[in-house]
Amino acid sequence: MQLKEKLIILADSAKYDASCSSSGSMRKNNKGIGNAAFSGICHSFASDGRCISLLKILMTNCCIYDCKYCLNRKSNNIKRATFTPEEICAITINFYKRNYIEGLFLSSGIIKNANYTMELLIKTISLLRNKYHFNGYIHAKAILGADQMLVKKLGLLVDRLSANIELPTSDSLKLLAPNKNQNQVNDIMQYVHDHKDEKFVPSGQSTQMIIGATAESDLQIMQQSEKMYHNYSLKRVFYSAYIPINNDKLLPALKLPPLKREHRLYQADWLLRFYNFKVSDLLDLENPNFNILIDPKANWALKHLELFPKEINTASYHELLQIPGIGEKSAKRIISSRKHFKITFKDLKLMGVVLKRAKYFIICDGKYFANTNLFNKRFIESNLILEDKSPNTHNYQQLSLFNG
Amino acid sequence: MDNKIYLYDNNFIGLLNLISFLITNKIKPQNIKNLDYQPNLLDELINLNITIDKEIFKYIIKTSNKDILRILYYIYLSKYDNKELVIYYFYLNMLKYHANVIHMRNLKCVSLGLKLAHQVKDEVHKLKGFLRFQELSNKILYAKAYLNNDVLYLLSCHFKNRLPLEYWIIKDENRKMYSVYDKHNFYIVSEENFNLSTEKLSNNEKNMQDLWKEFYRTIGISERKNDKCRMNFMPKKYWKYIIEMEQDI
Ligand code: SF4
Repeated sequence: MQLKEKLIILADSAKYDASCSSSGSMRKNNKGIGNAAFSGICHSFASDGRCISLLKILMTNCCIYDCKYCLNRKSNNIKRATFTPEEICAITINFYKRNYIEGLFLSSGIIKNANYTMELLIKTISLLRNKYHFNGYIHAKAILGADQMLVKKLGLLVDRLSANIELPTSDSLKLLAPNKNQNQVNDIMQYVHDHKDEKFVPSGQSTQMIIGATAESDLQIMQQSEKMYHNYSLKRVFYSAYIPINNDKLLPALKLPPLKREHRLYQADWLLRFYNFKVSDLLDLENPNFNILIDPKANWALKHLELFPKEINTASYHELLQIPGIGEKSAKRIISSRKHFKITFKDLKLMGVVLKRAKYFIICDGKYFANTNLFNKRFIESNLILEDKSPNTHNYQQLSLFNG
Repeated sequence: MDNKIYLYDNNFIGLLNLISFLITNKIKPQNIKNLDYQPNLLDELINLNITIDKEIFKYIIKTSNKDILRILYYIYLSKYDNKELVIYYFYLNMLKYHANVIHMRNLKCVSLGLKLAHQVKDEVHKLKGFLRFQELSNKILYAKAYLNNDVLYLLSCHFKNRLPLEYWIIKDENRKMYSVYDKHNFYIVSEENFNLSTEKLSNNEKNMQDLWKEFYRTIGISERKNDKCRMNFMPKKYWKYIIEMEQDI
């Protein structure tokens, strides 16, 4: 088989993994080729708007397992291909030299058994690091069920190591991926968490969950994320709207991937990681799913209008972060500027704070942006719905730029 | 009306020395321009031929900090027409507010200066990703880009760290300048002193470009197709030099 055909097959089977982040590593050039950029670099954007940072491929799409949602499952009759370690190195180096990529994202179907597959991954990546002296970014997928010793070996070669949780609950996983179990995922995450340092998985671990293939609510999904962030200090949880690839009676018959829902989950995830929100602030058993019309923060604020409007000149940093439309950067600017002058609406504009949504929830030096009797739920809610950004123009995967 | 335009040697340190001199002597310039400036009829050009004092960098860092010096440098690289005046007023406010000057965003020169610096930084960041090298028959890697701001030097620093063992050349199609790296240092030279026109692509080059284009085409998920989002992150003005986008222009 020609190299080109292999590349097409093995990129096609890898494309469903959402992660392409290349940030968080400070790997230096060491008499070879490449280095890592701490903030991560996007080299291109695919037709679906997702960042291309890494050469994202499988080593092989042959697999002994039969996960229902997966293109590569054993029972699918598709073309199979396997890269040799040398082939992977040659493509990586040639693409890297031409500045197409930041590095490699290598994953694999399972051949023979977990350990055998893991050893092949290690062989490939160690060739790349030691023979080709490649110091660019490498993200590898750990193979579930492989020995700890192999996880250790692989972790010492890569920048990021990850294990996919795949589905929000262990019951779903059992149902759709009968050869896997959630404990295997947890074991890897625990090991990486306990051993992470500047030599071992320096840029940390991430994971991915498929959304909409099973019946879990947003609440269950977010609780799983919250637990993983808390227990294993994950850098990211990626949410991947389920795309119906296989026909199976266990899978829902969706026509389109639930992209809007995925978008809301990313927004909420953001609130957990950077804005001090807890899942219980955003969802509960009575409202277990996000409002599709309004983003989670604005939805929260509308339920707590008694806390608003907030005075920009006196609100604490934490309170500023609660204001819809105000992010970390704006909140920091406000805090450092107001020590030197009293902030007015005009100043906010000069400071680059976007007021489109924030204006409903703030006062500046005692003033509201409009007549104060407009500060009521109906008026604000209808305006926010009109202004809600569709996932068309926003890409939450992309916002990982500085946050790994 | 005052039509005095003060001239500086075409470099950053020359500009800073001039500004420092003007401020010390309480001169408020109508404008500050470099030696290439094409004057209008009414302009009165003044070249003070200030002696260059390298201590000015240390002085700025002492008065504020390294970040402020870096911001001034980034503004200097901006394509903005009156960037010198922005630097003049930024500098003036730095003398007053020291490192806190960056928090004084209610001042026009500060908010504009920070915006220009950000644009420069952003262009460098984008091009670190979007630049595409092609391998020439003599193994030299060659990239062309249209640089809006004058970021050839900053880009070269990045690739010097990243590809230290390759020969590479980056061309700024806007200013017709080349950065040439010889595995030790890079040198920035103008078109008149450099000729590449006879060089051919290496035998392997088309193959590799082809592989990359196939990868690019394959990695997009058709069920998620989203041109608007792609355009947002990779504006069309960059496409001309991004080889995988050629077919889409
Ligand atoms: S183990 Fe991985 S590659 Fe194999 S079927 Fe399951 S998800 Fe697909």
